[in-house]
Amino acid sequence: MLVPTLTASLALVIFGAGAVAGALGIALGLGGGIFLVPFLTLALGFPLKSAAAISLATVIATSSAVTARRTGNQLINLRFGMVLEVATTAGSLLGGITAQFVAESVLQRLFGIVAIAVAFVMLGRINRRNVIADPAADHGRLGGRFHEEESGGIVAYQIKRLPLALVASFIAGNVSSLLGIGGGIIKVPVLNAWCGMPLRAAAATSALMIGVTATGGAIIYYGHGDLRPLLAAPAVLGVQAGSWAGVRLAERASVKWLKVLMAALLVVVAVLMFVRSMR
Amino acid sequence: MNRDTLRRGPSRSANARLEVMIGEVLRFGTIASSTLLAIGLAMTLARYRSELARVLLEAGLIILIATPAARVVISVIEYIRERDWVFVVLTLVVLAALGGSVVAAYYR
Repeated sequence: MLVPTLTASLALVIFGAGAVAGALGIALGLGGGIFLVPFLTLALGFPLKSAAAISLATVIATSSAVTARRTGNQLINLRFGMVLEVATTAGSLLGGITAQFVAESVLQRLFGIVAIAVAFVMLGRINRRNVIADPAADHGRLGGRFHEEESGGIVAYQIKRLPLALVASFIAGNVSSLLGIGGGIIKVPVLNAWCGMPLRAAAATSALMIGVTATGGAIIYYGHGDLRPLLAAPAVLGVQAGSWAGVRLAERASVKWLKVLMAALLVVVAVLMFVRSMR
Repeated sequence: MNRDTLRRGPSRSANARLEVMIGEVLRFGTIASSTLLAIGLAMTLARYRSELARVLLEAGLIILIATPAARVVISVIEYIRERDWVFVVLTLVVLAALGGSVVAAYYR
């Protein structure tokens, strides 16, 4: 398969796909790679390597743009994020090893099953909140507190099950360059459902981490000549537009609605993974 | 460092200052890379293909990829200033892993 040459209409389509990634980044802390790669390969006929490379560039752009907009309101848990980044970057560096031991179709089916399971856990916990209303409560070494829009007050949260968060981050990094994703689709549901993080804090912290996670893979694709600047450019510009447009929408949406959106996306991802594993 | 600092981590103000610095690095990287990519893309689509357009696109992409790494470097420096050695080590490990990717990309 050859990499398509860039026409104005193709640039516009890639720009639109980047905008969706940017909006998802603002709302849920996802880089959008999990949708961008199948879109570029299945709908536009890009070779997998080229699609994964463009996707990783898009994830980096989403991470930087979203985090630059988010700093200052203390939704991002810097310290916890930097702890988990050790696991994601180590996972990313060792990604090639996983690819050698596990067939891609097995990996995709496994991914699909996990995605479905996590979607149901998220829906089952739709009314459970992780926040502690008392702002003076001890949030521990890695927890945090932030101003919550819904209640209008400062809320705190504690981090639970750190080993699980580290394992999820390692897996997210491990499949990052292989699948062309930042791993937000794995981290955000796990951090919210099992590790005590409120959804908005998990999303903001994930948005910070996916940039560094995707950078490892992007460097390798760039070094091997698979990352074409001309094809990445419209996606990166689309991310700017999407994150700009998505800011107000994401802040107004209720946490419950965001959880439903996340669960729905997980089901779509599961279906996509099963379809890809059959080919 | 007293016992209270050890248990609770550094002061809120140190953490908030690092957050502001990270925001500035990412904002600069985002604006610089997007501007270069936009000009390069516009020149190419206007069939004004030139060496300049190619250089602008290439520079935009390199700045884009370097931005998260720059954010980690800033964090290392800030944690050294805070004498927060656990986080100096953690951020250095992240930086080393990114360095490993550069090695994997060019020396194989």
